[in-house]
Amino acid sequence: MIIGRYYIDHKSVVPKIVIGALIALVAIFPLFTTNMVTLSIIILSGIWAIAVMGFLLILRTGQFSLGQAAFMAIGGYVSAILTVKMGMSYWPSFVAAGIISGVIAFIIGIVVLRAGGIYFSIITIAFGEIVRIVAMNWESVTQGASGILTHAPESLTVGNLEINFAASVVPYYYFMLLLVTVSALFYWQIDRTRIGGTFRSVAANPVLAEHLGINLMKHRLIAFTVAGLFTGLAGAYYVTFLSVMNPLIFDLWKSVQIMMMTIVGGMGSIVGGPIIGATLLYTLGIYLSRVPIPNIQYLVFGGVVVLLLLVLPKGTGLVDQWGKLWRRVFGEPEDFQMPGEEGMDEE
Amino acid sequence: MPLLELKGIIKFFGKLAALENIDLQVNKGEILGIVGPNGSGKTTLINLISGYYRPTRGTIYFDGRKISGLRPDQIARLGIVRTFQSNVLFEGASVIESMMISSRLQYKTNEWQAFWETKAYKDEHEKIVGNALNTLRFVNIFNETFRPAAALPHGFQRMLGIGVALAANPSVLLIDEPTTGMNHEEAMGVVENIREINKQGVTVVLIEHNMRVLLNIATRVIVLNFGNKIADGDPHEMMSKPEVVEAYLGTETL
Repeated sequence: MIIGRYYIDHKSVVPKIVIGALIALVAIFPLFTTNMVTLSIIILSGIWAIAVMGFLLILRTGQFSLGQAAFMAIGGYVSAILTVKMGMSYWPSFVAAGIISGVIAFIIGIVVLRAGGIYFSIITIAFGEIVRIVAMNWESVTQGASGILTHAPESLTVGNLEINFAASVVPYYYFMLLLVTVSALFYWQIDRTRIGGTFRSVAANPVLAEHLGINLMKHRLIAFTVAGLFTGLAGAYYVTFLSVMNPLIFDLWKSVQIMMMTIVGGMGSIVGGPIIGATLLYTLGIYLSRVPIPNIQYLVFGGVVVLLLLVLPKGTGLVDQWGKLWRRVFGEPEDFQMPGEEGMDEE
Repeated sequence: MPLLELKGIIKFFGKLAALENIDLQVNKGEILGIVGPNGSGKTTLINLISGYYRPTRGTIYFDGRKISGLRPDQIARLGIVRTFQSNVLFEGASVIESMMISSRLQYKTNEWQAFWETKAYKDEHEKIVGNALNTLRFVNIFNETFRPAAALPHGFQRMLGIGVALAANPSVLLIDEPTTGMNHEEAMGVVENIREINKQGVTVVLIEHNMRVLLNIATRVIVLNFGNKIADGDPHEMMSKPEVVEAYLGTETL
């Protein structure tokens, strides 16, 4: 693991123009097809990618959270309850979902982050199950197993352009792009600046970090809360896109799936890895669900992860491998520029 | 008033007493050597001051303020920084990365300014990178700046340990056996470093097995044996005291 390069100007392995072209392609994609199924797959992949970035941010501090789907559930329920039961319009409920999910992450974090390593993972599994069981049994609010049917978001008017979510899937697509972009920029900026470096030091050697004045709890809590906030937003958007919320949508398997997506995409880049991992695994899942063998998805996902861990034992997923391949073909990125160099006398 | 004061410190591990009733004062500006045979409680003492352990009984004061019971990061932020007896590193980090992690305490800008990379943050950052490079120069590993810390030879890793501690802006530096496994030349470099650090106003508490090194730089020495302080005073006088010689060499039995 490399401890953030936040002290020098970091040149990305893949040139900006390639990334720009990819983003442009994604942005104009609905011009080529408005196929509902294709766009839905991309939309849901994007939503999962946001949750995966959150998982990876928590992992940067050395904690392995297996309860991330619970925050999607919280976001989903907050939005569904506020809109359907309380008659609030969708957009404020979406914001509320993020805030409430973040606040719950903060409170839960204070309790569970005291436990380190495997114990933290176990407690987060328990937390996910608690959320599911509460949702199942608190029928007056969550409508239990039958779930809540949600409405499409209200139309938005930007200038003289009316964006109607009820009419087509394309507005969902563009709002997903906006949401992924904002979350990705936020995560990326955390990851590459001072705080991201501190996160890594907390994971790499907590004892040393603590003796150098770094408050372990504070940094773990920041990561957990930020992840909770964006994961809650992702959950709220997921639910309105599916137009239903019930306790089975975000179960333990979904938390495990988030972890698997992280492994497939790789842990080097906090944006690239999750997007690639989530897209590949989610798309694979959709195609597998058409195969008439029960539970084939679990089998194949498990197989893929085991295979990846055997071939790439250090948890470097596909993006990191592509980075290596890119460097082999196109050479190393330009050398580091050391700041302050010119002002110093060489001895 | 002493800068650092330990009053009636007792530390038990289960039923085993590692330190029995230690009273100790560290004065501003001195280099205090701690000696004693293996298992006499030297490292335990540093672990207690740095907050890694809590004393079973007794209190530690820094600058008149009670610090026993604080977490290690709180104590480090007050200016008491330690090095470790073994080479403790951030796994996967390069030398400069390790330095920048420990330079965290030098920043005045907050996380939010760092997140937005404001001008104040960038200016400060550039200055602190410069400080880190100068510190690497000072501890004689500037040529290794971009190497992975784990790939350095043992002696260089020891020097990095001191550099990393220095970057955390200590006013009291606790150094645990800095010269173990070093050749003579490297050890002398470290001795010079410690003297220079002290000259710049940092109070040093030093655990050292190498008597020649210790007598060379310590201004005062305390001797521990089986968790008790058996001597305290001028280094050269200490070494001629019978109980110190006995602790080190054992009593002659015929």
